[in-house]
Amino acid sequence: MLFFRSEERAREWCRERGQPLGPLVSVAQLWALATTWYSTRLQENARRPQPDEMREIFARLGLAGEFWDPRSDRFGPAA
Amino acid sequence: MEFDNQVKLAVYGHFARTGRRPAPDEIAAAVGADGAAVIDAYGRLRAQRVLVLESDGSSILMAPPFSGVPTQHIVEAGGVRYHANCAWDALGVLAALHQPGMVHSRCEQSGEPLHLEVGQDGPAHSDWLFHCLVPAAHWWDDIGFT
Repeated sequence: MLFFRSEERAREWCRERGQPLGPLVSVAQLWALATTWYSTRLQENARRPQPDEMREIFARLGLAGEFWDPRSDRFGPAA
Repeated sequence: MEFDNQVKLAVYGHFARTGRRPAPDEIAAAVGADGAAVIDAYGRLRAQRVLVLESDGSSILMAPPFSGVPTQHIVEAGGVRYHANCAWDALGVLAALHQPGMVHSRCEQSGEPLHLEVGQDGPAHSDWLFHCLVPAAHWWDDIGFT
């Protein structure tokens, strides 16, 4: 989960490592993810979003599809 | 409060105050327990994906969004310098602290530095991008790689 200056720089990085280009997320979308995940992290009642919530959160931010589905098995076991 | 939750709050409080990982005996002193009990709690918190530990089982590698070791994602807030585990967590540190601050990182391909100001309501406009390589279903298969 890395920063890139542009889509082209991200494409170059993936190409050089033989990796597929994954989704590119804007800084505004990333802030929404960060606050959703971490805004209660220092509190006694902190909780992380559960898988069904995660799917809804991602979809609300325009991050849809199997890549963002925490229950998807389409990608198989990690290499 | 349940013991594991006390340990978790002590760990996160230490990171928030100091920007660095606590030693088990610092947490033991904070919660009034012995070091062995704290390390046992670390293991349970690892199973809950609250902490990621180094191979010694007692050093905190990650207490997301905080990193226990130096990374290229540096966050400054309230006079404290933090390291984050990834781009997402760099913003996550400020979201957790509820403080404005600065995120310093880099383009992973070109090395161009990123200096992102983040206010109480979020970051200034930026056309930088965040790339996610690992599908969500596999983030915790190897959280270090993710």
